[in-house]
Amino acid sequence: MRKTSVQISAALLLGLALIGGACGGRNDSSSAKSTETTASDSKEVAFIDPAADCTDYKGTQGVTGDTIKIGTVRPESGSYAIYDNVTKGLDAYFKSANASGGLTAKDGKKYQIELIKKNDEYDPAKTPALVKQLVEQDGVFALVGNIGTETNKSVRDYLNENCVPNIALATGSTQWGDANAYPWYISGLPSYATEANAWVSYLKEVNPTAKIALLYQDDDFGQSYKAAIEKAIKGTKITLVAKEGFNPLAGSTTEASVTKLSQSGADTFIVGVGGTACPLTLSFVPATWTPMTMISVTCGSKTALSLASGKDEGVYMAQPTLDPADPADQSNPKVIEFATQGAAAGLDESAIQGGIASVGWGFGALFAEGLKNASTVDRAAVMNALYSLNDTTFGLLRDEVTVNTDGAKDPWAIEGFRIVQRENGAWVEKAPVTNEEGKSNSFAGN
Amino acid sequence: MRDFLQILLVGIGDGAVYAMLGLGLVVIYRSTGLLNFAQGEMAMFSTFIVWTMWSIGLPMWLAILAGMAGGFGVGALVHQVAVRPVGDPHEKPLAVVIVTIGLFLGVNGAAQLIWGTLDRSLPPLFGRGQVTVFGVAVAWQKIGAVIALSVMVLLFYLLFQHTKLGLAMRAVASNSESASLVGIPVPRLLMLGWGLAAAVGTVAGVFIAPNLGLGTNLMQLTLIFGFAAITLGGFDSLVGAVVGGFVVGALSSVMPRYITIFEKMPLAPAFILILAVLLFRPEGLFGKKQVTRV
Amino acid sequence: MSSASVLGQQARRTPRAWVLKVVPWAVVFVVLAIVPFEFPSFRVEQFCFWMTLAIAACGLNLLTGYNGQISVGHGALFGIGAYTTGILITEFSVPLFAASVAAAVVCFFFGLLIGLPALRIKGLYLALVTLAVATLFPLILEQFSSITGGSGGLQITSPQTYRGELRERPIRLESPFAGLANDQWKYFLFLGVTVVVFVLSRNLIKSRVGRALVAVRDNEVAAESSGIPISRVKILTFGLSAAIAGIGGSLFALNQGQLYPSSFTIVLSIYILVAVVVGGAASIVGPAIGAIFYGLFSDVIIQQLPDRIQPARAVILGVLLILLMLLAPGGVVGGFRSLQAKWVAQKNFRRARS
Repeated sequence: MRKTSVQISAALLLGLALIGGACGGRNDSSSAKSTETTASDSKEVAFIDPAADCTDYKGTQGVTGDTIKIGTVRPESGSYAIYDNVTKGLDAYFKSANASGGLTAKDGKKYQIELIKKNDEYDPAKTPALVKQLVEQDGVFALVGNIGTETNKSVRDYLNENCVPNIALATGSTQWGDANAYPWYISGLPSYATEANAWVSYLKEVNPTAKIALLYQDDDFGQSYKAAIEKAIKGTKITLVAKEGFNPLAGSTTEASVTKLSQSGADTFIVGVGGTACPLTLSFVPATWTPMTMISVTCGSKTALSLASGKDEGVYMAQPTLDPADPADQSNPKVIEFATQGAAAGLDESAIQGGIASVGWGFGALFAEGLKNASTVDRAAVMNALYSLNDTTFGLLRDEVTVNTDGAKDPWAIEGFRIVQRENGAWVEKAPVTNEEGKSNSFAGN
Repeated sequence: MRDFLQILLVGIGDGAVYAMLGLGLVVIYRSTGLLNFAQGEMAMFSTFIVWTMWSIGLPMWLAILAGMAGGFGVGALVHQVAVRPVGDPHEKPLAVVIVTIGLFLGVNGAAQLIWGTLDRSLPPLFGRGQVTVFGVAVAWQKIGAVIALSVMVLLFYLLFQHTKLGLAMRAVASNSESASLVGIPVPRLLMLGWGLAAAVGTVAGVFIAPNLGLGTNLMQLTLIFGFAAITLGGFDSLVGAVVGGFVVGALSSVMPRYITIFEKMPLAPAFILILAVLLFRPEGLFGKKQVTRV
Repeated sequence: MSSASVLGQQARRTPRAWVLKVVPWAVVFVVLAIVPFEFPSFRVEQFCFWMTLAIAACGLNLLTGYNGQISVGHGALFGIGAYTTGILITEFSVPLFAASVAAAVVCFFFGLLIGLPALRIKGLYLALVTLAVATLFPLILEQFSSITGGSGGLQITSPQTYRGELRERPIRLESPFAGLANDQWKYFLFLGVTVVVFVLSRNLIKSRVGRALVAVRDNEVAAESSGIPISRVKILTFGLSAAIAGIGGSLFALNQGQLYPSSFTIVLSIYILVAVVVGGAASIVGPAIGAIFYGLFSDVIIQQLPDRIQPARAVILGVLLILLMLLAPGGVVGGFRSLQAKWVAQKNFRRARS
């Protein structure tokens, strides 16, 4: 008798599970293979051919009437939550576009953008479930502005197999350069290898016998920098005298590593870590060590550097974008447009000046660019448009930075930097913008 | 040699913090007989209270006192509501483990709800300066931790050896049945013990937070160091907690530096210590040997 | 003999009672069979995850529920199973299910290893040691990153042809049947393994060995004096419990295709223990009920809440655990049993009065 009630309750519990989650339903075998391909338009590089590359291709999933559903995954909580500001900028861009009628497609039709956000806490173990939810349950057209290197890597095979675009990734890991294998990914940042190459090029000019101490995040983000630096210094008199790896998810700080590096006799300190660990690292540098410090692009915002306890003064950076907090850039029309439209879309003063939201704004702009140039509002068409950008610009890129892409030959949109040094919360140019068109993949080490 | 000395001094500074956690753990073990797996989370929670007080403008020392008071309240409440009703840890160990785990999850979740999940920064009580000792640079903060520990040990000594309240608490720890027969309000004193433990934990949190960033995962690893300290020292010995804390701190700082296999596992020496002590000398250095009657 | 069991015996003999016994199980199996066809594939994969948890909880239940040895470290054993499977497949091209069996064996030995010191360390202290193991485990994964991939994760790959080239791509369990999608096939495979594990556990519990386990838990001295070799029983139980957790971990690896240390923190060990306790320690279906409950709670119900309130999940879980220990220490199954007994007692009382 006892066991019976247990069994009944088990049955009820399972029934509950059915009812509780039944909202999803499946949609695999029912939808016919879409035949909307992009081969016809002569101007476009037909880099992706869904008829050949995809099974069960759903080219217009997420497009209903005049709305396009977009998904994004970012760390809303945890020690990398500073990057949530990127998503705020992305959100503001779409809100601003929606307010003026929507984003325009090639045929002139305007589309409202609905942005669905998920929080993966920068943990690649959590990302796959959330991305699958976005694709299978929420039915998004594409992902835009996804944050994190390992997190984006954890879903790379899934998204590419299912032919779902991942546009303007907020990571410049060298992996995204393999557009032959993974054509549905296009990064919104410059390649970390190109950035590292810019640092080393500048060092070759100002300190050809530099001794580098490198702190790097022990994942793909940091290892991209490390490999590129090692490749770039080969054959020069610059040496890597010390390096320390750092695990961002371990809950410890870089203090011990910085102390160790400070005792290595290096005169150059490269900080290949992101999140709040970067400005904290700067604050850990002992007063007795005064190297030329170079920080990553992901660290160079006003918001991030405000956490460095004043030790951001004098650091160097390779900079591709305009900085809304730098008085020298504030009169640039792109910055003015961002400030006014961003404020109208709900960004507050600190977010506008913070320098992180503007990156997300740029991601929205890159997507808009793809939509504008695509022959139809279809996943493959948008990707093909993004892989054939021609002398354009988007977001808050510096005026001298050129944007060109060409399928797998040149999958990187941003390849230009100038070198700047921090002075009183603003940037002083030390070397002008150099565009390394098409060379990003060649800078990647191994 | 200078390198070694520096690593050692850092370890001793860290050890002072582990000792602080250990003191709280010992107080709870002596009074209620259990290992409080939620000690770290309680300490984290009250450290957040410190931050809140500081961020609305209170001077740091006052904020810390306020946090300790808040922590005291949380500890007392937790004992009253969750620990007391469960029963004797030696009779129902699984239930007690589950309750402390429940506290672990609950207090952690409550902290996340109240303060969100962004890391906060708590300035170090003794600043970021350094002083040269024996030719080695030592952070003032580490020295401060040892000073704070000494103050607490002194206060504990005065409390337990020279006040009636302390005497009553010792009676309860020694034999709670007899104590209640003599008229000592045992439940109230147990509550007091938990409050005290939580208050002590606050100070530990205040010293850890400036370096790690004040987040809800502040104590997840540090707790194990605290347990290692009291395992080595003896679960029921306050002196043992202090000695154990320093030893654990020193070992955990020195060993990962010189033994490459421990490089990324500062916790490993602490774990090995726990295992070795429990296997070969379960009463630790200063604890009382437990005798079980068949 | 209690009145309930007398009634139980009588019940077994009537056809009505037989129906009452079999029908719920039939319903359960029908529901389980329909599920993968009604939900999108990511949900089905989530259910597969719940099953791996149920298997681990079953293993833990043998050790903690039936044998009284508290382990807050089964997440580490789960992780050893997962990483062993992943490494064997990726580095040594071992076929998938052979890798799972190997993982179970490896975990068995780790269980024996932990079981040895557990002979001398009991109760809260064993909980402390296993807690420390579980906390240390992700750090070990990072230390030996050349084997485990460290914090960058371990991609479980095999050489496959993709876009014209032979590449290392994440493994997939290909469905051999045309009408069955890959995730559905995976679901049924996992379900099969789960059922087998639970049935075998049940058989073990009901056998002499199972009774020996319980005897050791209830009174070691008495058990020893009746001839039970307690050391051997305790160590072997640890080993077996670890092996089962390892099977769970192995299936987890096959489900995910990639492994990260952050999936194997102390929190995982806590969840497995929670599943055992909430379902009902020392009951056969308890771990499964606990795993489903936990899965429903954390993957379905909590997801409906706004993001800001998500941490409430930990608070609710914590409060629930405390209340459970105070009011219903026997978990869901225990609660039902006592309600059942009360109902039967009331029925008898009324019958006696009339």
